[in-house]
Amino acid sequence: MSLSMPNPYSGNYKLLVAVPLLLVLVSLFFIPQIQLGVDFKGGTLATMQASSPVDADSLKAALTEKGYTVSSVKSLSNPKGYEVEVEIERDDSLTRAETLKSTFFEKIEQVSLLESDVTVSNASAESVAKYAAARQEVDALSDELFAIALLPKNSSSITSSNELKQEVGAAYRQITDGYSSKLSATLSSLVNYESASFNEVSASLSAKFIDKALMVVVYSVILVSVVVFIIFRTFVPSLAVLLGAACDVLIALGAMGLFGIPLTLASFAALIMLVGFSLDTDVLLTMRVIKRREGTPRERAYDAMKTGMTMSMALMLAFACLFILASVTHINTYYEISAVALAGLLGDLIATWLLNGVIVLWYLEHGGQTGDSQKPFLSSIFSS
Amino acid sequence: MITINEIIAGAKKREVIAIFLFAILACAAMFLDKPRGVPIYVASIAAIAIAAVFIKSDSFRVAILVAIVLLSAFSIASNGVKFGIDFSGGVRIPVLLEKSVDSTTMEEMVATIKTRAASFGLSEVKVRPIGDSEIYVEMPQSSPQLVSDVENLLSRQGVYRGIVDGKVAVKGEEIYSGTIMKIPSQYLSGADWGVSFTVTQSGAQRFAGVAKGKGNYPLYMFLDRPSDAIVILSEKELMADAASKSRVVPISRARALQLASSSLALEGDNITVYIEEAVSQDFSLKPSTNKTRAIVSANSSLAPKLRAAGFTVVEKTDAEMTPKYSVSPENPTSDAVTVWSAVGLMSAPRLVPSVTEGIPNFSYTINGPAEGATATLKAADALKKERELESLLKGGALPVQISLGSKTVIPAPLGEEFLRLSLIGLVFALLAISLMVSIRYRHMQIIVPMIFISLAELVILLAILGSFTIDLAGMAGILAAIGVGVDSQIVVTDELLKKEGEMSKRLEKAFAIITTSVTVAVVAMLPLLFLSGLVEIIGFATATVLGSLLGLFISRPAYAVIAEHLFE
Repeated sequence: MSLSMPNPYSGNYKLLVAVPLLLVLVSLFFIPQIQLGVDFKGGTLATMQASSPVDADSLKAALTEKGYTVSSVKSLSNPKGYEVEVEIERDDSLTRAETLKSTFFEKIEQVSLLESDVTVSNASAESVAKYAAARQEVDALSDELFAIALLPKNSSSITSSNELKQEVGAAYRQITDGYSSKLSATLSSLVNYESASFNEVSASLSAKFIDKALMVVVYSVILVSVVVFIIFRTFVPSLAVLLGAACDVLIALGAMGLFGIPLTLASFAALIMLVGFSLDTDVLLTMRVIKRREGTPRERAYDAMKTGMTMSMALMLAFACLFILASVTHINTYYEISAVALAGLLGDLIATWLLNGVIVLWYLEHGGQTGDSQKPFLSSIFSS
Repeated sequence: MITINEIIAGAKKREVIAIFLFAILACAAMFLDKPRGVPIYVASIAAIAIAAVFIKSDSFRVAILVAIVLLSAFSIASNGVKFGIDFSGGVRIPVLLEKSVDSTTMEEMVATIKTRAASFGLSEVKVRPIGDSEIYVEMPQSSPQLVSDVENLLSRQGVYRGIVDGKVAVKGEEIYSGTIMKIPSQYLSGADWGVSFTVTQSGAQRFAGVAKGKGNYPLYMFLDRPSDAIVILSEKELMADAASKSRVVPISRARALQLASSSLALEGDNITVYIEEAVSQDFSLKPSTNKTRAIVSANSSLAPKLRAAGFTVVEKTDAEMTPKYSVSPENPTSDAVTVWSAVGLMSAPRLVPSVTEGIPNFSYTINGPAEGATATLKAADALKKERELESLLKGGALPVQISLGSKTVIPAPLGEEFLRLSLIGLVFALLAISLMVSIRYRHMQIIVPMIFISLAELVILLAILGSFTIDLAGMAGILAAIGVGVDSQIVVTDELLKKEGEMSKRLEKAFAIITTSVTVAVVAMLPLLFLSGLVEIIGFATATVLGSLLGLFISRPAYAVIAEHLFE
């Protein structure tokens, strides 16, 4: 790892920008192909541990025949034998039942209140009519739920709203329990497994995950932009730093589409972390080139590149270990985090040194100011 | 070069001696007070980190690093490292709250779930709040039966019974749940809080019949009152509240026993009260047809005997076993046991004479006084009592609607294998990075401190994260943190290796870069850490953020000191 590579900024460095731009274009092409994991899409991920290998294709065919919409079946080997991973899409009736249940529970308190009015007002015509109207609404919901649960029940035979509430709760539990036990029974008839783990993500849960993830992205972008502008206090370098990070995340996303790394909570966390990693080298470059005076800007950029490359290399080694660990254990969390991080760190090398570096140098050589006199904003708080 | 003399001179400085004394004291405290080992460890780390910001002598910086590493190593040995079910095997069920709640409500929810788990006999269940809208329920072992038990206890509604003078006056199912609500303060007429509710036709008739002529009697409000049971309490438990020093009118033993017995009276299903001391003197209790369950303190020596005699033994804590009394000299009819958790007695308001005339009435209110020294405390207490009563009348419903998230099941042998391989992975990452810096810098003086500091960081991270729980995402984060840690050391080293400029100037520049990049990296992770509540990946975010911060405040300053001396 002797750093005898030539200074890439010595010639007409502006042409270097073509590489990251091209890469971003290619990434944009692959981004739509990113698959959503169970976390964001909803559905059931069943992981089974078996002592003998399982044929993925025949399992998929058998499950499809039984009426399940199978997104993927993976058959792998791990330290304790063989692992089969089956991803099944959310059942429509289950999603419907969930909606029915939550609408029912939103309305039932009001219905209960109206029912008490009937009792208190000694069954006045007005209160009876109001209650009947409200009941009609929740009755429709409960009857549909009873039908999905295949229960021979009719809401019209249940007079009190308290009882109706209990029946609906029981029916919903029967639907979800029935679905899980049917699925595990089907799987155990098809696969001779020793243990199984089911990761079920309901429609409302995946919707919540998406909401939270989007919120995290928005807040992170705003916070990071504000902090970067406060630190550099000049427009072009700040923009260059942020552009480098954005470019890096785009390349990582492209790699996810290309290599089939699903977008899950784990890979999402890795993407957010990449923003920090990518800014790491961007900050190093920008501070060394803009806030120093020794040598020419090109020499300083080259110098920063040597340090930055070593830093990226250390991080890549750490994640390569995680990636190897993932390929031995088949732990999805490890695989998703390490694959996204590795792709992103590679992207970071290109984005930082070929895009951000060029912008910063161009800025300096076209009248931008170096700011050595200015003490960096935050160091006055922390360092000696 | 660093000489032995320099080290000795450094070690003799006052602040260095102080920090080591502090570390030794903290270790001793951890060792002596094992149950509180984790809070002691975390607090002492925080204290040292704060000291690190203010005291900036060279020897102190190295001393801080050494002290924290020692503390962490001791914590790993004494408190142990906790691994999530991914590594230990078991089941995890996330409980999602329909909306974000404040910390008081969260505590209430966690406590309720814990109590329910205990009443199901699932004492090994771990319940912990995650953020403000999620709760993790974890069990170290897994069986389909256990999973459905936990799902049941979470979705279960309790049974409410209001008992007056040994007869059921109010049944939970006869209350319209939609009508249970707080009374606005302007209608409270003197009381501090109040809850109103409406009962059904049959409920109104039952209450009118049972409560007739029972003015000022207590209405014993039970949640899940055990049936076919006897309760055995020790003299100490019987009298703990009755003879408490803060009581103005002391209660005699005979009166206490009388109140306890009458609170458990119910036609056809009395719960008989026995005194442990009397029972154990000459043990002759035997279960009979409607007395099959024995409720007893978990510390009691009677439990095995009762089991041998054929009872289903229900063990409770001493606090749960202790009845709380309320007496007034002016009105002895209203004297009652007001709270007795072991038997599900939650409260015992007094019946106002106006509702005991035997006329069916649909709407009722329960109100009472609040306690608290200041107006704010009083208001908070009133709100708490109101909420407790509301939840009680709704059959112990949780204050917020919940739904269950996706459950994860990990078989124990697989989890252990994952842990073993992950630890090997950590070692390999450390080795690979050490090899890389060795090739890059080729000087033992640089390589050795760098590796030592990476190792130190790993120990600290394992100790801190292991004080809580290390899950898969957390382990991935620790691995990433090793890489992040080395990064800042590379920045310092490259800056020091430059020939031009003063050493201190160069160090300052290196720190400016590190401070900036750590700030930006931490800021990027903050929303994920604090706002998202995405528990699945919070371990990862915590590990990377903690790794960056540890580096910035503790190991980098120490590394710089060491490196600076080595280069001179």
